[in-house]
Parts: sequence; structure tokens; C-alpha cells
Amino acid sequence: MKILIAEDEIALQQSIVTYLERDGNVCEVASDYGDAAYKVDLYDYDLILLDINLVTGSGLDVLKQLKKDKKETGVIIISANNSLDDKLDGLDLGADDYITKPFHLAELNSRIKAVLRRGKYGGDDTITFNEIKVDTKSRTAYIEGRALSLTRKEYDLLVFFMTNQGRVLSKEIIAEHLWGDNSDLADNFDFIYVHINNLRKKITAQGAKYIKTAYGSGYKFIAD
Amino acid sequence: MVISTVALYFYVKQLMQREVEEELYSTRARVESSLRINKPPYSLPPVFEVEQVAQLGNEKVKDTIIYDPSQDEMEEFRELISYKSINGNYYRITVRNLIVESEDILIAIILSYMFIILLVFLIQFYFNRAKNKKLWDPFFRNLEAMKTFSLSSDTPIPLEKSGILEFNELNKEVTILTDKVRTDYKNLKQFTEDVSHELQTPLAIIQAKIENFINGDTLTEIQFDQLTSIQKDIQRLTQMNKRLTLLTKIENKQFVNLNQVNITGLIEETVQNFHEISSTEIEFSHRDKIRVKMDVHLAEVLCNNLISNAIKYSPQEGKIKVSAKGNSLTVSNKGAKALEHPELLYSRFYRESEAAKSTGLGLAIVKRICDYYGFKIGYHFEEGNHIFSITFK
Repeated sequence: MKILIAEDEIALQQSIVTYLERDGNVCEVASDYGDAAYKVDLYDYDLILLDINLVTGSGLDVLKQLKKDKKETGVIIISANNSLDDKLDGLDLGADDYITKPFHLAELNSRIKAVLRRGKYGGDDTITFNEIKVDTKSRTAYIEGRALSLTRKEYDLLVFFMTNQGRVLSKEIIAEHLWGDNSDLADNFDFIYVHINNLRKKITAQGAKYIKTAYGSGYKFIAD
Repeated sequence: MVISTVALYFYVKQLMQREVEEELYSTRARVESSLRINKPPYSLPPVFEVEQVAQLGNEKVKDTIIYDPSQDEMEEFRELISYKSINGNYYRITVRNLIVESEDILIAIILSYMFIILLVFLIQFYFNRAKNKKLWDPFFRNLEAMKTFSLSSDTPIPLEKSGILEFNELNKEVTILTDKVRTDYKNLKQFTEDVSHELQTPLAIIQAKIENFINGDTLTEIQFDQLTSIQKDIQRLTQMNKRLTLLTKIENKQFVNLNQVNITGLIEETVQNFHEISSTEIEFSHRDKIRVKMDVHLAEVLCNNLISNAIKYSPQEGKIKVSAKGNSLTVSNKGAKALEHPELLYSRFYRESEAAKSTGLGLAIVKRICDYYGFKIGYHFEEGNHIFSITFK
């Protein structure tokens, strides 16, 4: 996938590039408004990560230009401002998703994949990993064609793992993905262990065991 | 006043006495001259009496009291007794004149004084009242303006100009003071907003770098634990940031959308969500429908913070009780003892115990939301339970 990262903070921009390139994505960067507008005008991307506050201009203007040119590009807005207005403005203008700084790269990656899966960008609403297939439209997971009965959280967990294959996911990241701001409530992350264990059992029962423990307390979804 | 009354009394008395005496002398002179022209001695008691006497005595003036048959009472007279030898005969001429009784003078003086005082007092009273009312009117109107002054208002305090120098000076000082307070308050808010905003990008960078680090070369378990612990702290910072921003936004009155919100439904949802992550049991009894007109996002925050606060401060085995009765919502959690400083409960960063990990902003936000919409929030400790209740309008 070809992704443009329009972000004026070079350190953050490079970190995102590093993370995404590992999945085999082709990443290009733009560090200011002019650069972003120029690249959007000239090239086609599958997806653009767009910071609203680009030093020399607003990311929203790049988005407007993109929509005016009727380009079939997925857009995820990155903003340091978690105000609802900005979010609504961005989504009204046709952005596909909105993420507030600071965010986990795994979370960003998961959202990027979700946007790319959507039909309008040529995706097919499914994630496949060996014998596991997930239909994100009907929110069902299949193993060799047989549907799994997963709870809502187990399903979310599975998708999160599958979209971040081969990555070490700490319990903190998983908890935040599943419960957002409320994840700080738990004194320990035992409840994650419970969910993961249940999920493991369900997919292991069908002959798969991809969820591995990493560094004692983290998890990694990887083929045997 | 008293001195002048007394002085006046004596002065008038003196004056009248002299007048009376003068009159006595002139009457005597007339009697004398009538005797000289050999008119027979004639008496008109008690005004004057003429008597032939054997020898001359000393002339004297004195007060005397004589019965006055015409008035049928004892009257005070001034009496002049003089002896004269006229045409070889000796005469004693007694002339008397009624004098005004001193009590009468005194009463008259006091009465007239009192009347004057009363009159002056009344005039002064009404005059001053009218004048003061006019004079202080701008002051009181400005006082009202000051009472309604709000720190967060965008407009300067509307003080009225008056023709009075002192009030204008006061206005000037009040305006300077309130303007300063307003700018300071605004700057403080701006500062909070800026800080939380500006912190987000560096936080994002740290977080991204740690994640890449974790996914890079192989780490030891200790290194991994250290890195995830940093992630946890970043999350705490992020939470704090979000909450501070939220507080500032509420204070800036940036939530203007009003929707019908089903509080009971929201609580049900929240309880359900927390059930997944916390082992603390939550009992939701009494599910009266509470419908409130407020911002949906704030309603969610309100329910979330109330219940998460209860979970944070509840002992492991303690049960949390939530109930919606009438138009009030009550959340209670077990606790060993009542709060030591319940008045600080809603202050930012106040934590009753260090044990619970929290940003210390949850209840401050709840309180702000309640203030914003005019809901009443109360706390009390009863039978080992911390009880929070919110009464919606």
C-alpha cells in the first residue's frame, strides 16, 4: 500500500514510517502544507495520514483539495486537538477516521487497515490469516469456513491481533484498544489475560495457536 | 441647646423684670405728680396704693405674692415701695405690677425650641434623604454591577459614570482591578489549554518511539517491562491532559448542544462496560427513568466518572450501589471512614488516599458539569458508605 504521511513533527513522522514500512507499505512523507498539497496533487495514494496542524497551513485544506479532485484516497486525520468540532469538521469533509495524539502505532495501524478494507478503496471487508478469516462487515470470524462464536471483546481482540501481525503488543496497548480511557481503572490486567485465554482456547480448539506470549507480559500474533 | 435654653430663660426673665421695674417707676412718678397737684390720695389695689405715713422709710423693690381676686389665685407681683414727702405730708407709695411667671417663660421657651428642632429635623431628614438617594444612586447601581460580575465574562464590568469625583475614582480602580483579574484568569485558562495541547505532540513522539523500540531488536524481559511501564505513565499523562482540557472547555462554556439524555440508560451502559474490566460488583437498583437536557458527551463523562470514582476507591470485596430514584442519581461505595476533607473533594488533584491511582480530576469534572447545568451534587458518609448523589433539574 502507498501511504503519504503529512506530519510536521519529523520524529513522529519517521516513527510512523518505520512502523508501517515493516508491513511492506510504501511510505512517503510531507513535512509542511505546501509539500503535502503538492504531493497530493501530483501522486495517487491509497491512504493519507493528515495532521491538521501543519506548520504552514491546515491539513483540512489538503483534505478539501483532495475531495475536490475526487481522488479515491483514504484519509485519517491526526490531531493534537481532541476537540469534537475538529473531529466533526474532518469527518464532514470526507475523512475516514480521526485519531488524537498521542496514539499507539498499533492502534493507528489497525485503523489504517480498517480504512483500507472498506469497499470503496478496493478492499474486500475481510482479513485472512492462514485458516482464519474475518468478515469485518458482519463481524464474524471463521476458521476453515466454520464460524466462531466470539464475544464482542474477543472479536475486537482478534482483529487487533490480525492487523498487527508479528508485533509485540503490551497489555497496556491492548487494554487501551479495547476499553479506551477506562482502561486505567484496572489495578492489574488480569481481565485481559482472561479474554486472551478465552480467545486462544476458541481458536486453538479449531486447530490454530497463533497468539504467543512475548517477553513474559506481552503478546504477539504470529504464524508458527 | 440646654445651655442656650437656660441662658435665654434668664435673659428673658431679666429683661422682663427690668421692663416691669421701669414701669413701676413711671407709675410712681405719675402718682407722685398727681399728689403734687393736690389731688386726693387714690388707691387702686393691687396696682398702686397711696398712704399717709408718720415718717419716711427706705425705698425698696421686691417680689411679693398677693391674692388676685379677679383671677382667684395667688399671683406674683413686683412691688416698689417708696416714701415721699409731698406738700409737707409723708406718703408711702406702693406700686405693683404683675410679672409673668417664670415657669410660663420656661415652658414657652422649651416648647418653641422643641418645635423649631422638630421642624429642622424633619426638613433635614427629608432633604438629606432625597439628596443622598440621588448622590449614592450611581454607587449602588455599580455595586449591583459588581455583584453580578463573573470572572469568565468576556465583557468588562459595566460601571456607570457619575459626576462624583470619589465614585469615578473608585470606578476606575474597580475597572482596573477586574480587568486585571479577568486577563489573568483568561491567561491561566489559555495556559492550561496551551500546555495540554502542546504536550500531546511530544507524548505522541515518545509513545511512537517506544513502540518501535519494542518491535525492534530483541529485548530482555526487564527492558520490556521498563518500556511498558513508561507506556503506562504516558497513558496517565494523556488522561490528565484530556481531563484538564475537558475542564477548561466546560469552564469556557464550549458545550452548547442540548439533547434529551437518558441518564438511566447511560448508567446501565457504563455499568456494563465496567463489569468487563473490574471485578468490583456493581448493583443497579431502582431504575427510574431520568431524562435530562444536556450535552451527550458530558452526560457520558458524568456517568463514567461517578462510577469509575466509586470503583477506584472501593475495597476489592466492597459492593457498589447505584440507584436512580425520582430525578436523583445515587452512587455509593464502601469505605473505612468518612472523608477527612469533604470540602476538598471537588478540587483538582485532591486525593484522599494515595493508594488509588487516579488523575485527581474525575470528581472535579463531575462538579463542573453539575455547576454548568445547575444540578445539585452532594456527598455524605453513612454506615460505612461514601454516598454521592446528584439531583437533576
